[in-house]
Amino acid sequence: MFNSRKLFGALLLMLCGAEVLADTSSGYYGYGKLATEAEIAGWDIDIRADGQGLPAGGGSVADGEVIYEEKCAECHGSFGEGVGQFPVLAGGEGSLTSQRPLKTVGSYWAHTSTLWDYIRRTMPFMQPESLKADEVYALVAYVLYLNDLVDDDFVLTRDNFTDIQLPNQQNFGPDPRPDVHNSRCMENCKNAADIQIVSIVRREAPASDLLATTTEAPKPPAAGEKIYNQYCVICHKAGVAGAPKKGDTNEWATRRLAGIDQLNEHAIKGYVGKSGVMPAKGGFSQLSDEEVRQAVQFLVEPSE
Amino acid sequence: MKDNKQKPRELLNSKATVTPMARRQVLLGGLGLMGGAAAGALGLTPALSAASNLPPNIPEWTRVLGPGVLTNPYGQPSPFEANVQRRTVDWLTPDRIASISFTPLADLKGIITPSGLVFERYHAGIPAVDPHQHRLMIHGMVDRPISLTMSDLMRFPSTSRIAFLECPANGGMEWRGAQMDGVQFTHGMLACCEWTGVLLSTLLAEVGVNKKASWILAEGADGAHMSRSIPMSKAMDDALIVYAQNGEALRPEQGYPVRLINPGWEGNTCVKWLRRLEVGDQPWYQREETSKYTDLMPDGKSREFTFVQECNSVITSPSPEKPLNQGKGKYWVEGLAWSGRGKIKHVDVSYDGGVSFREAKITSIVLPSALTRFGIELDWDGSPLLLQSRAVDETGYVQPTYQQLRDVRGTNSIYHKNAIHTWKVFATGEVANVQLS
Repeated sequence: MFNSRKLFGALLLMLCGAEVLADTSSGYYGYGKLATEAEIAGWDIDIRADGQGLPAGGGSVADGEVIYEEKCAECHGSFGEGVGQFPVLAGGEGSLTSQRPLKTVGSYWAHTSTLWDYIRRTMPFMQPESLKADEVYALVAYVLYLNDLVDDDFVLTRDNFTDIQLPNQQNFGPDPRPDVHNSRCMENCKNAADIQIVSIVRREAPASDLLATTTEAPKPPAAGEKIYNQYCVICHKAGVAGAPKKGDTNEWATRRLAGIDQLNEHAIKGYVGKSGVMPAKGGFSQLSDEEVRQAVQFLVEPSE
Repeated sequence: MKDNKQKPRELLNSKATVTPMARRQVLLGGLGLMGGAAAGALGLTPALSAASNLPPNIPEWTRVLGPGVLTNPYGQPSPFEANVQRRTVDWLTPDRIASISFTPLADLKGIITPSGLVFERYHAGIPAVDPHQHRLMIHGMVDRPISLTMSDLMRFPSTSRIAFLECPANGGMEWRGAQMDGVQFTHGMLACCEWTGVLLSTLLAEVGVNKKASWILAEGADGAHMSRSIPMSKAMDDALIVYAQNGEALRPEQGYPVRLINPGWEGNTCVKWLRRLEVGDQPWYQREETSKYTDLMPDGKSREFTFVQECNSVITSPSPEKPLNQGKGKYWVEGLAWSGRGKIKHVDVSYDGGVSFREAKITSIVLPSALTRFGIELDWDGSPLLLQSRAVDETGYVQPTYQQLRDVRGTNSIYHKNAIHTWKVFATGEVANVQLS
């Protein structure tokens, strides 16, 4: 089939060179298909600092608190203080110049839009992109409230969104590198007598590591340990949502009294207990029952 | 183990009254177990060399037949190399879904990192992307928003280049002092591969970019929808939409079936499992370019969009993993140098903690934004050493000292630590990670 656009492009190429062709030849290859508005709308989830991309809707601090307690507090803590190593969301004002800066939404983040975008994009951690627009508005309002940036009767909407300025926004600037300048000195670059070791880490290696050839292949982790490390560790390392921690002998001893079968059943089918919630298979439905049983076996073993 | 080792050979040599077919089935059953540590069935069990295998004796592996073709339809390293693995540091992150593992630099040679050993960094684990159902959408300020299948993408003109991939937090644990006990952990958020795909500029020409557009949002198909804003200048320069790595399809860990590679820039911008490119006229200020991957300075101000990975180097042998274990005498000291601003020009090595340097030999091909291998002969008299390497790139930039970096940036900026690194070699040959006054 004769393609007049290609002919035009080829003529341009002959006349003006490839750069002009690149500028004027959209659809030159014609591969793929045009993306429909509906397709784009389904995936276009980004929110810009000027609010571009925000859907209609809104949510209150009060609504946000309910959702936060249900879906966020288990990792981020009821006051945004963070559980275990999970991110702290509130506090840290004035800490950025200290020895231990605490970077939170209130102390560090630059734009409210980032919070809205990120919560919708990927939170809650185990159910990415599962929240409705109004829920996201409410959660953003609540996190702002946790940071003392809005009052407890505040309602965040698309219309008042860009009114909210985060305190640290003005403290970001462009990359000035190269900002550090060394010279290629070859001799007498410093005084040997001034050199002191100020910190040192020595390796505690098994003897075999020091030999030229490796002797034994390391034992691969048992299936249960691998599954634990991949899935269960998220909650059972830090004790999120009342999860008994790996290695907490007392906690596991109590549960083992009821028998490993019951423990397996709770892990596979899910369980709501006095101290916490175990989602079915921890929320990872792709795991087989047997894999869950292997992980349970690893979890209940006393840690060395 | 020993019994296991004997069985197949007994079967092979057996004159017992089993039918050939039955014998074959048993043998194949045994072979089926092979892979990793189970390779003992072939006499490949890692073990210290027995004297009976040394000259003048004929080694046991020479006296029997080895396994035939397709024993491993996809080949694996020798079981003797089982120690060469990615490793993680569990205290760095709360879990392994949003975490990092490190490339075992001490055991690698040349400049190409084997695909299976490239460090991992996930924000929501490895998504199980079906390439037939995956789509790359390009839209925003363009004339023709398009949706591409992988087959569509592979019809575009293809190009390959070798480039390093480095997490900007590489070495970030060492800002305040030596903390990690091996080069795998001090510098192992680093890899270098051959990447094959389509220049992003080709795809942008295809969709027709609005003249006012200046930024592109790249977004992944993982649960984190990992996203970064990329300046149009980089997109039109050398950014690559990649579907192959080291000659084969991308590994799932590296973004299968398609990812972005921005040569010389921080690894986080090289979005994996790429599903969407949106063209716009300002950056999006995503979480990974505000809350994270910004550099906090001592005055409380922060730098944003710090893309380039500056010139850096490290000695990989000797290192804590590779002590000088042959006594006094000559050793080949070697390591890696790289710069996101171009080619490596020189690497200088010091044995005395930076009092004097001598120029090392560049022993690999030298490419821009690629790992470059250097080496130098050390005639070790058994006395303690303070080993350093210092790289210079083609812009004339000289890798700085810790002091120089800290004087400008303090110790809380986490990212982009490229200081000259020091290994202390003890008289025993043992090597430790140190920092000097």
